[in-house]
Amino acid sequence: MAAFNFLNNTLAKREQLFISLYKIAFPAVAKYVDKMGGSFDEAKDIFQDALVIYYEKGVGSAIELHTNEQAYLLGIAKHLWSKRFRESIQQVPIGAYSDVAGFIEDEDREPSPAKLMHYLETAGQRCMELLRAFYYDKLPVNTIAGLFGYSGVHSASVQKYKCIEKVREIVKEKSLAYEDFIE
Amino acid sequence: MNEIKQIEGHLFNQAAVDDALLFDAMLILDRDMSYKVTLQKKVYQLVRQYGRKKLKAEVESVHQQLFSEARHKTFRQKIMRLFINPR
Repeated sequence: MAAFNFLNNTLAKREQLFISLYKIAFPAVAKYVDKMGGSFDEAKDIFQDALVIYYEKGVGSAIELHTNEQAYLLGIAKHLWSKRFRESIQQVPIGAYSDVAGFIEDEDREPSPAKLMHYLETAGQRCMELLRAFYYDKLPVNTIAGLFGYSGVHSASVQKYKCIEKVREIVKEKSLAYEDFIE
Repeated sequence: MNEIKQIEGHLFNQAAVDDALLFDAMLILDRDMSYKVTLQKKVYQLVRQYGRKKLKAEVESVHQQLFSEARHKTFRQKIMRLFINPR
């Protein structure tokens, strides 16, 4: 597949990436899940989680992530499957384990109240999108400035800190409303 | 804004040694500061949760395209055949 530059990824480019990865790797994952007695929906769930793990590993880097995406995604998927059914399997490459462990740990962590997430997605959307670009997609600040229409890297950075402050205030207010939310 | 920056440096271990020591001292003396650190940590967690949620939605939308649009018919058939055959 064509190299994907994680430092210049936009919604349209991510869509292209996921379509390619689906075509390259989903057949092998589906075949594996079917062989293990799983359903189409289970293959889909596992593959989608594997794509998220792949993406989170790749963000912040400029180089092509893996020479063999199919093997990587299949390895991750096998591990996710074994986690799901608590079976031990030997044929998963060691390198895949650490990525999966972090992902599962995050997923298991007590989720934030749905009300808070909903509030952030609506009232705080612009800030959340900006913070996502910085901390989740890990885009370079000059790319972010361009994407969000800031005059330069300085104003993008200033806005980032303002957004953290704003979200922090929201968290503070809401934490008074929902008890045992801040651990 | 400086305070937000300082806390970020502390949480991501990016501060210079001197600044880090100073910040640690401040944390001990200023209880309000440690509360702010906790809140800010939560902000980064929420951002990751938000980012992941949006990414999953993007992946799901790709899935819907692949399993409904005519131009992906061959791919779709290849997958569906796997699950139709009796084992």
